[in-house]
Amino acid sequence: MKIKKALLHLSIYIPDIVLFAVLIKHGVFDFSRSDHRFLGIVFFLVKILIHNLVYLLCFVRPFTVIKDVLMQFQRGRYSMADNFHVMKSSVCFGEILELLRSTGRYLDNLIGSQNDEIEKFRELYNNVILASNSYFVVLNSRDEIIFSNKSFSANFRYIDDEILGLKLEDVFYIIPGRLSDAIENVKKRGESAVLRKIKLISKRKISLIADIKISRVTIQGEKQYIVVLDDITSQWRKDYQISLISQISESIQRDDEVERILHAILTAVTSGSGLGFNRAMLFLYNDQKKALTGKMAVGPDSMEEAVQIWGAVQNEELNLMGSDNESVPSASAGNAFYKQVITSSFPINSDSLLVNVFNGRSPVHIYDASADPRVDPETREFTDVSEFVVVPLCSANKSLGVIVADNKFNGAPIYEDHVELLSIFASQASLSIDSYNSLSLVKERMEHIQAKQEAIIESEKMAAVGRIAAHIAHEIRNPLVTVGGYARRILQTVKKAPKGTEDIGKAASIILHESERLEKILSNVMDFSRPSPLIREYNNLNDVVKDTYYLLKNVFQERKITPVLELEQKLPLVKSDFNQLKQVVLNLLQNAMDATPTGGKITLKTGLTETHIFIRIRDTGSGISDEVMDKIFDPFFTSKITGVGLGLAVVKKIVNDHNGEIVITNNPEGGCQFSIELLRPS
Amino acid sequence: MSKILLVEDEKNQRELYAAELIDEGYEIDEASDGKMAVEKVKSNKYDLVVLDIRMPEMDGIEALGKILSRDKKIPIVIHTAYSNYKSNFMTWTADAYVTKSSNLDELKSKIAEILSTRNKV
Repeated sequence: MKIKKALLHLSIYIPDIVLFAVLIKHGVFDFSRSDHRFLGIVFFLVKILIHNLVYLLCFVRPFTVIKDVLMQFQRGRYSMADNFHVMKSSVCFGEILELLRSTGRYLDNLIGSQNDEIEKFRELYNNVILASNSYFVVLNSRDEIIFSNKSFSANFRYIDDEILGLKLEDVFYIIPGRLSDAIENVKKRGESAVLRKIKLISKRKISLIADIKISRVTIQGEKQYIVVLDDITSQWRKDYQISLISQISESIQRDDEVERILHAILTAVTSGSGLGFNRAMLFLYNDQKKALTGKMAVGPDSMEEAVQIWGAVQNEELNLMGSDNESVPSASAGNAFYKQVITSSFPINSDSLLVNVFNGRSPVHIYDASADPRVDPETREFTDVSEFVVVPLCSANKSLGVIVADNKFNGAPIYEDHVELLSIFASQASLSIDSYNSLSLVKERMEHIQAKQEAIIESEKMAAVGRIAAHIAHEIRNPLVTVGGYARRILQTVKKAPKGTEDIGKAASIILHESERLEKILSNVMDFSRPSPLIREYNNLNDVVKDTYYLLKNVFQERKITPVLELEQKLPLVKSDFNQLKQVVLNLLQNAMDATPTGGKITLKTGLTETHIFIRIRDTGSGISDEVMDKIFDPFFTSKITGVGLGLAVVKKIVNDHNGEIVITNNPEGGCQFSIELLRPS
Repeated sequence: MSKILLVEDEKNQRELYAAELIDEGYEIDEASDGKMAVEKVKSNKYDLVVLDIRMPEMDGIEALGKILSRDKKIPIVIHTAYSNYKSNFMTWTADAYVTKSSNLDELKSKIAEILSTRNKV
């Protein structure tokens, strides 16, 4: 190659050699002459010198230029200035340069078009990220934020790159356990995690409920974690409100629920998840005091407490209405704010803002309490916050009270849509309370009617039994008295007759005895079907008990049962029918004796409670089984072999006629107690 | 001797009461239903009527009304197996109400009581 290059070099001398040859031939240039020879050599040398200068210009510089170009290429710059035109004339390097230039331009175009594509994608992605509700942060392995999208920074009130280098716990008050665990898991295992309904409150006092996705990426060998927060606060709020309203309407089906509805209302208003107010107070109209009185309050005393409550709520799956999270309202039930509210009262005739809203029945939004003339000094002092809303609780026909809500702790502005939502909510809540009240009223009346109906059925039943009993008794009594009457006559005849007829007399006496027993049973039946008497006399129940006891004194001795009388000496007289009450005690005492074994004890006790005056008959017998207890007062029910089953039915009838009650209890030590309780005379 | 009209539809009973009352020293006339009783009261003079309530043809209540509308002064003792007759049959008033029993002491004593006060008057 070098030889070739040298020959190429030498070729430029060919014209000079030819020139010299022509000059020598024509004798112009005489080689033998030394001066000619000298001039010739000088000429030649000059020629070489010039030529080499040209060579230096045309040959050495292109190498440098090409080297430069390639270096530029290596740096990724493919376009070049057009200052290489000097080279164009150069035989060998011009072409190479031209080739490089076009290659450069091609690469340049190629990269340029790719950059456009990339830029387009980037723009697209950015738009997608911005348009969505999602907030992005990228964390490095030291948990520091190395990237956040604009939504994230803007939403949590960070400017520019201020957030970079912070950790999540620098941004948020409480990192819920579920979230920190999930991040740890993603770090360890690399699997993505999705968390639902995570409640967060930022140190710059922004709260939200988010679905959070965490995934791991590896960028240039370093592991990074992308945390995406989807803000579902408003969606959740709507769901929450709907579920709350439905739960409220469900809960009004139950009896003891007004307190719960009220709790639910205030919980919905506060807690950052319902309507997002910091505090809520409920005042209801109290008809006795003629004032709006503080009924309930939900809200913390301070921001610290707010954060604590927030944290406590975390673990409860954000279901504030569930049965196991009574802790939400009660968490604040003992605090100073709560006490302040429930001890407050605004007289209905005062010019208080609360009273005016109550009467005016439309919400009032106060922006600056210190300057607003509608705010009276008392309310101003009471609320101690510049911006708040007062919303009436009213149904179609009456006002129930007001709800006061504010953002005392984070000072967040109250937006009109929140006020509107609160009003809608309040009116729905009012409807619930109202329908609850109507429902209670209806229920009460229904129960009253039902009780009456049952009483009617009962008395109809009794009347029917009475009619049947009377009829049967009549039908039986007729032949019975004939049998008994003749037996008595036989007996009398036999008494006068000569000896030897004793057997006939004995038989007649048995017939008479048995028919008398049957007659007695019939009398019981008749007693039962006897209509209610007029009770006119005032009697001492002690006399009733003593009289009956003396009737059965011998039977006590016969059966070896110990009677115990515990009579309250200072008994008021009771309007009653003496003989009927005697019948009651007699029947109960006979039952007690039948149930009590030999050697047992029967206690007869009289006494007073605040409302009643009672006679109690307590035995040491076998007690009453549940099965028997159900039927014990049914006519013709009996557990005795020879009984008719009317004794207790008669007792019940008489006690009912006296507007009294019978309470039966099995004694823990065995046996049972019948307590006749009559209304204590006023 | 006081004359008593015994009104009773059941023969066995009637005979029993008649025998017992005769033993007490009364003169007894018998009727087996209300209609017959009313007829007998029209044509005879009695010091007292013992009247059953449930009877065929004409019951004791109707008979009571008819007898009393004819002669307000004649003493009548209602003698019945109903024990709550008093509240049920208040239209006409009898002088006494006795529930039927194998023991006739009550019936006898009521009759004696009524007749003795009558005789005094």
